[in-house]
Amino acid sequence: MHTPHSRSVGGGNAPFWLVCQTAIKHQKKKKKKKKRKSTVNSKMHRTVPSLPLAPSMKVKLINAGFQVASDLTDMRPLQLCKEAGISQEEAVEVLQVLRDDGQPHQQRAATESLTALDLLHQEQALGSIVTFCSALDDALGGGVPVGKTTEICGSPGVGKTQLCMQLAVDVQIPVCFGGLGGKALYIDTEGSFLVQRVADMAEAAVQHCTLLAEDTEQRQALEELTVEKILSNLFLVRCHDYVELLAEVYLLPDFLSEHPEVRLVVIDSIAFPFRHDFEDLSQRTRLLNGLAQQLIQLATQHSLAVVLTNQMTTRVSNGQSKLVPALGESWGHAATQRLILHWEGLRRLASLYKSPSQMEATIQYQITVQGFRDAPDEPRTTPDSSAVSSPSGNHSKRPRMEDLS
Amino acid sequence: FINRISDLLGPIIDLLNPEKSGNRLLREVFFLQTFLTHNLDKLLDSGLYTGEITELTGSPGSGKTQVCFSVAVNISHQLKQTVFYIDTKSGMCANRLLQMLQTKTPNMEEQMEALQKIKVFRVFDVFSLLACLQHLRSNGLQKASVGGGSVKTLMVDSVSAVLSSMLGGKQNEGMSLLMQVAGELKMIAKDFNIAVLMTNHVTKDGNGHLKAGLGQSWSHVPRTRVLLQRVEDTETSSLRTATLTKSSRQACHLVEEFDLCHWSEERRTSISGKRKLEERSKP
Repeated sequence: MHTPHSRSVGGGNAPFWLVCQTAIKHQKKKKKKKKRKSTVNSKMHRTVPSLPLAPSMKVKLINAGFQVASDLTDMRPLQLCKEAGISQEEAVEVLQVLRDDGQPHQQRAATESLTALDLLHQEQALGSIVTFCSALDDALGGGVPVGKTTEICGSPGVGKTQLCMQLAVDVQIPVCFGGLGGKALYIDTEGSFLVQRVADMAEAAVQHCTLLAEDTEQRQALEELTVEKILSNLFLVRCHDYVELLAEVYLLPDFLSEHPEVRLVVIDSIAFPFRHDFEDLSQRTRLLNGLAQQLIQLATQHSLAVVLTNQMTTRVSNGQSKLVPALGESWGHAATQRLILHWEGLRRLASLYKSPSQMEATIQYQITVQGFRDAPDEPRTTPDSSAVSSPSGNHSKRPRMEDLS
Repeated sequence: FINRISDLLGPIIDLLNPEKSGNRLLREVFFLQTFLTHNLDKLLDSGLYTGEITELTGSPGSGKTQVCFSVAVNISHQLKQTVFYIDTKSGMCANRLLQMLQTKTPNMEEQMEALQKIKVFRVFDVFSLLACLQHLRSNGLQKASVGGGSVKTLMVDSVSAVLSSMLGGKQNEGMSLLMQVAGELKMIAKDFNIAVLMTNHVTKDGNGHLKAGLGQSWSHVPRTRVLLQRVEDTETSSLRTATLTKSSRQACHLVEEFDLCHWSEERRTSISGKRKLEERSKP
């Protein structure tokens, strides 16, 4: 009984033995092609279902008999087109994905490992961004770490945007003063970024460095450090809704390749666009998780610090209400470190709530004309705290400082 | 086609063969005493078992990554074996590992040697995770064993960070990827006799109780599940409780308490005057 060999044997009323026979002949053909490939390639073990392709494409490839990525590597687009029954453009796309997957840097990320000792050296080289509040820097282990994402949560008016603006200025402090000497990207979703405030903070930072300058190298660096230069190294993006924010994060790798000196990306705030007009909460969680992973990848690959600002929401349980960070339970797992800023009477406190390397701690800070600083009654004082008008005394009677948050 | 069938039937035939199967099952399973704390080892029935998957779940800040660090440090220092650590959240902090090692031994060389036995892979999405696991299964683990050290532990921190964005909604690929990851982990655990430790996040169900993330299908993947929680209303904020939520060896809902500070005692004793002020002002 002669039957034509056709690819679509699976569907239909073909008897079982015929299916087997065709499948065996198919595999034999595949094996003949596989013999051409003799070089050991670490891609050989990747199964087709685990490739980053569209599901419908993978189904077609698997039905055509391709099980492992190495089956596909030495196929021409036209051959693949005929074998798998996909269009030529799709075939080209599939082969492109395979080739990208085999790129050196992709493979290196997935298949090569660093020992913890190498990581230790890397971490020591990366450094951190100071916040000019020495108590907070101590609690964070030197400052906001580079290569990780930090989330800052707080009620309105407690100082999140002030801290973000302070970090955007501090990242530009030259290396000889202990800073990173890098640029900053500020993604503003709320519209709370005030240039005049940043200029005031920049001026205070320059003054602080002037007081500290000791040797010629530092004085040279100081000559270049002006308020204009600090403002020109700060890139500002305004996003109005979550689609713009997602698009901006998607485009960030290209931006960062063009500007490799960027060491800080601030998203202020990430909660605002996601809390309004979102009906489908599970979709929101998925989008946020995907966004968080993209940001962590950027932070690691481009060696920068990512700072996110979050809002607070009220949770009612057992007849009591508590302020908790917004965006849900699973968002809490997204950032590497979490800092919660809160009020206690008239004092502003910062608590390190989640960190892989630091102990939990609560410290006090204040917002002055110069920016984010230590609270005045801490034993260690910076030169700028001389600008604090009232002496430290009773905590509850300390007058509230002027701030523009 | 025929090769694949023989691949599949091979292990089944082995199992049916009475001599071979009995020895195989009895000989190769052993446990790794993790020396975490006496309490945690008791909870896990004396430690992590090779050939099995153990899962840690907990809210943010409950100590999952710290427990993983502690296990890695113990195994690389005391048992002198290589540890593979797959990090998806950039939570791996080599400084912290060094701190933990410093409380165990003041000898710099030993510390460096232990750090060298911990190999870290950084992957950020599910396809890279699958690529990494498949690479490990095909030649990575064999290379590591040939080099002299033996690999007995693989840690994935965390699985939910890469998988949770793929599940739900109109996406039809989520379950397939979830099951592929589960399959790879199980094959690695069984074929190479490795203890797999992974972390997962928690979500709240309808009544507000905590349950592990990634759904019902994922709950069948690990053999043992431990839930970590903070202890509320205490002076020291580093206390945690571990609850056994799924186990084939012990009664469930065993609770043990442990202290995260236990792994960094030296640091605690060297508190400066400043830190004491902070502790007093803790809520």
